[in-house]
Amino acid sequence: MATIFKSRQISRETSLGIILIFSVGLTGFINPRFLTGDGTRDLLTSTATVALLAIGIAPIIIMRHIDLSIASTVGLSAWVIADFCAKNPGFTWVQCFIIGGVIGIMVGALNGLLVAGLRLPSLVVTLGTLYIVRGGVYVVSNSVDYNAQEMPPSLLNLGQKVFFSVLPFPFLLVIIATIVTAWCMKYTKPGRDCYAIGSNPHAADLVGLKVFRRTFLAFVFSGFMSGIGGVFYLMRFAQVDSTAFYGQELAVVAACVIGGVTILGGSGTVTGALIGALLVQTIQGGLAALGVDAFWKSAINGFLLIVAIFADRRLAARSERALLAQRIRERE
Amino acid sequence: MSVNTVDKTAKRRRFTFTWDTSILLLLLLVCVLASLTTDNFLSAINISQIFSNSSEILIIGFALTFLIITGEIDLSVASILALSSSLLGWSYSQGAPIWLAILIALAVGSLCGFFNGFLVTKVGLGSLAVTIGALALYRGIANGILGTNTVNEFPDFWTSFGFDTIGTSAIPKTLPAIIFLGIVFALLLHNTPFGRRTLAIGLSPEAARFAGINVVRHKIIVFTFTGFMSGVAGVVYTFRFSTAQADNGVGLELLVISACLLGGVSIFGGVGTMWGVVAGVLLAGSVESWLTLREINAQWRTIVTGLLLLISVAAPVLVGKYKAKAGKI
Repeated sequence: MATIFKSRQISRETSLGIILIFSVGLTGFINPRFLTGDGTRDLLTSTATVALLAIGIAPIIIMRHIDLSIASTVGLSAWVIADFCAKNPGFTWVQCFIIGGVIGIMVGALNGLLVAGLRLPSLVVTLGTLYIVRGGVYVVSNSVDYNAQEMPPSLLNLGQKVFFSVLPFPFLLVIIATIVTAWCMKYTKPGRDCYAIGSNPHAADLVGLKVFRRTFLAFVFSGFMSGIGGVFYLMRFAQVDSTAFYGQELAVVAACVIGGVTILGGSGTVTGALIGALLVQTIQGGLAALGVDAFWKSAINGFLLIVAIFADRRLAARSERALLAQRIRERE
Repeated sequence: MSVNTVDKTAKRRRFTFTWDTSILLLLLLVCVLASLTTDNFLSAINISQIFSNSSEILIIGFALTFLIITGEIDLSVASILALSSSLLGWSYSQGAPIWLAILIALAVGSLCGFFNGFLVTKVGLGSLAVTIGALALYRGIANGILGTNTVNEFPDFWTSFGFDTIGTSAIPKTLPAIIFLGIVFALLLHNTPFGRRTLAIGLSPEAARFAGINVVRHKIIVFTFTGFMSGVAGVVYTFRFSTAQADNGVGLELLVISACLLGGVSIFGGVGTMWGVVAGVLLAGSVESWLTLREINAQWRTIVTGLLLLISVAAPVLVGKYKAKAGKI
């Protein structure tokens, strides 16, 4: 067993993918409905928003930063879009995406300026903006809710659109976003810089990487994804109030961590984050199929997260040892 | 290099010192403004309200200060609160005597804290990630035990403790207890070897280890203690609202952490004072009470909390930059 691992390094994403396929298969075995078109569609629809945010936050976590304000940004974006649409009945889905994107970029730029510009700890800054943005939603919304009739029908139709009878439109966007972001993280300079900064921020600074620009860009990107997440929220639920997506930021971080994006920075991929988000949702579905009480859902999630972190640590320690052994052999 | 580090530390200390002082001044300013603009801000009933509304945050904050100073974090405190509150209600409703139920709640809180500490120190996992998992885990167990049930039958003696005043005066019974705890923890942090060790570990775990401090044991103790205090907060919360349910104190962890940071505790560890934290908690509470009395939409307090938090981290940096610039000229 050990020799197999040594001779051919299986990538983190492959092993996660195997676990995902295994758990999908197992769930499908227990509850055949899970593997039908409807079941898959449900799974993908319910994962889309969290997956999108996980893709957005992954570069930040890779840079050894964190963004806790994402869930509040989703709430702000969703409410403001609904508000605009209610006041301008002519709006279609195009305006919704534009408004969402702009709001997200604004919040992201604020975070980016504070974290990258003043070099403040991102945990504290984004905790602050979490409150400010959510408070902003409370104040501007003034307890006004919006329902499906105030929203542009074209947006709701788009949310209902399904390709090949399994792939909902939002998840198609998620897949596109994953491919684009994964390509950028792997082959472009800003992407590679993220890993360098996350591995050793001090060294990255010394060798002259544009730390400010990269950090700022990462926060703007995460903000943008959260803004679009607001559109996804509306497409899925077709209603919004001031507490929309409240407290979901930690679920997104959890999806990333399960997907192998280490909280200590420097490693992980966007694809991993997507698989992590899917895995969490699949296991939820599997547990429901097994007849486990929904009340235990969160406990099992937490337990899985701790197991994932533990496994991650073990794997990292092993590859470190392997690397060290290799170096010693080369020297001899 | 070493000279530079010492210099930096000294500088950082001076800045946080000024922040501690300014937070106290800010608290006074808020109190003065509030008493001028409202009729009954300084009335005994309102002040006791501020204290009792902040009591759980203060109780957890006392312990969490130590933990943040060692350079770790615990996001699961509110979930521990909920779990111990649920267990208190559940075991009491199953017929356990109240003292046993309280004991169970406190023991489970400590156990949760120990579990976090074990994973962070012995297994070597990051505290931020682990306690995000623990947050879901403990809250989930509470959910599993109580579901959507609530327990709200508790002995009068315990539930009235949070409201009763001493004799005929307006001083609530809880106030002396909180002041006593505050003094004890301030002494523990600033005047005992335990507190000095905590600060030393936060400044440099390596150096602390070489100086002969058992860092692993110390951190486990602080984690366990944070769990214990979260359990205490769970008991207080249960009796104050006479409700034990699984979603007690949702989101409280971020309030506690922000109160600590507001009080000048550095998220990087090694820096912080107990009276700063108390001032931070009371500042958040006073602002909330002020806004309520002025009948301003209570939701503004969320924005104010966020702004204060940003100012608390940005102000020392900006002041430092300004001073550096002035020094150059």
